Amino acid sequence: MLTVENLNVEIEGTRVLRDLSLSLRSGVCTVLIGRNGAGKTTTLRSIMGLIPIVSGTFTMAGQEIQQLPANKRAGLGIGYAPEDRRLIPDFSIEENILLPMLALNLPVAERKERLNQVYDFLPQLKEMRGRPGGGVSGGQGKMVALGRALTVADKILFLDEPFQGLAPALALEYARTLSRLRKYRPELALLITESTPQLLREVADEELQIERGEISQLAKAD
Amino acid sequence: MLQSIIPLAVDALANAALIFFVAVGLTLVFSVLRILNVAHGSFYSIGAYVAASVGLWIVGAGLPDWLTFPALLLSAAFVAALFGPIVEKTLVSWTYGKSEAVQVLVTFGLFLILEDLQRIVFGIQSVYQDTPMTMLGISEIGGIVYLNYQLLLIGLAGVVLVALRLFITRSRTGRLLAAVVADREVSEALGIDTQRMFMIAFTLGVFLAAIGGAMATPTTGVAPGLGADTMVLAFAVAAIGGLGQVEGAAIASIIVATAKVLAIYFAPSLDAVAPYLVMLAVLLVKPYGLFGSGSTRKI
Repeated sequence: MLTVENLNVEIEGTRVLRDLSLSLRSGVCTVLIGRNGAGKTTTLRSIMGLIPIVSGTFTMAGQEIQQLPANKRAGLGIGYAPEDRRLIPDFSIEENILLPMLALNLPVAERKERLNQVYDFLPQLKEMRGRPGGGVSGGQGKMVALGRALTVADKILFLDEPFQGLAPALALEYARTLSRLRKYRPELALLITESTPQLLREVADEELQIERGEISQLAKAD
Repeated sequence: MLQSIIPLAVDALANAALIFFVAVGLTLVFSVLRILNVAHGSFYSIGAYVAASVGLWIVGAGLPDWLTFPALLLSAAFVAALFGPIVEKTLVSWTYGKSEAVQVLVTFGLFLILEDLQRIVFGIQSVYQDTPMTMLGISEIGGIVYLNYQLLLIGLAGVVLVALRLFITRSRTGRLLAAVVADREVSEALGIDTQRMFMIAFTLGVFLAAIGGAMATPTTGVAPGLGADTMVLAFAVAAIGGLGQVEGAAIASIIVATAKVLAIYFAPSLDAVAPYLVMLAVLLVKPYGLFGSGSTRKI
């Protein structure tokens, strides 16, 4: 589905990713575990095209995509929920969810259908659809960001530290949502980053350890 | 009492309309591209020169006088199409992500280039073309005489304000622009072509400035230096309203124009400084302008 090979990234002269390689497959949930500053967020951001890379290739369906501008990558069927949610504060929740489809200029009927699918899967979003993006709690915001990413995640979904900053009860709820997501969209290739793997044990098929910008260990979760 | 207030108010609103076109363009470009375009006023004066020249040509060629009305807006559109995309793609885009000092220097350089270009193309003689104003004539309501063209200006500014608000809140491009204003990076990650949005916003900004210039020609002569005068006035308005605020620009235009008109009538020596005294007073109390805030970004 997506193969990352020998990815090197520098931020302000410091190498933050070293020869990082990983591959995502349809129906497989890969979890990238590492401490703060290990390079998890940088990995996702460079695949999304949000930061320049020094070297490396991203291959998707036989096509190298590392030269594509960031805005063209969303159209390849990659949904991305950044760690800090990043909702548009003065857009309603519904508008936030619709935004990627508006950007990709999907037909209106299609937007509506996908929006309803998101509401079916995450009914709590439907209840707060009229509220402004800036007026929801952190936990609700995470769900909105997940719903927004799902609208265009035809093939791949990136979740950056989904539990970060969530109260334990909410984190548990989010983890259950992820388990449901595996059943709801079994074909999806998932890449989830997190600092601790506990909550992801249920959904993870593959666990990668990242340390100082290098994949240090590849373990198959049971 | 009304006999003297109403003409003053109409005068102020007509002036406000012209300033509003320029200031709202400036504020739009600022909120989307995050650069303060010092050359913005030049598009006002180029719009004025082109509109006046086209008007003179229409009258000189013996074409029907009413053609000078569509010519005003078409001139502005022509200026926007000619300058918007190419200036944004070449000079302005080069300054993205660079320091404010570089942005101001580059756009100031552009301002100097455009000023000289105007002198070369249009000469240094004042150009005057008032057919649209004389054609509309005056009307007398309740003993008060109005210049119909001034009423047209006020009406057009209202239409532009509503159209801009509808564009931003209802149209696809407008929503994408608003998203880019709020969060450029996440917009890009969600599939918005931010480069394209920058070009659209810049060209729209040029168009608005050029409308201001074009609509001003029937009321005043066009001469070198108009661009600089307009720029500082538009900057005062944008600062008072709060950079990035469409409605703020409208209200600030009225405040500035009122200050200017009152000064002209009652204290002519303060005419030039009145807008800046108002700006100073507002910024002392509200540093981000009447409607601006330091944190949230929206249009």
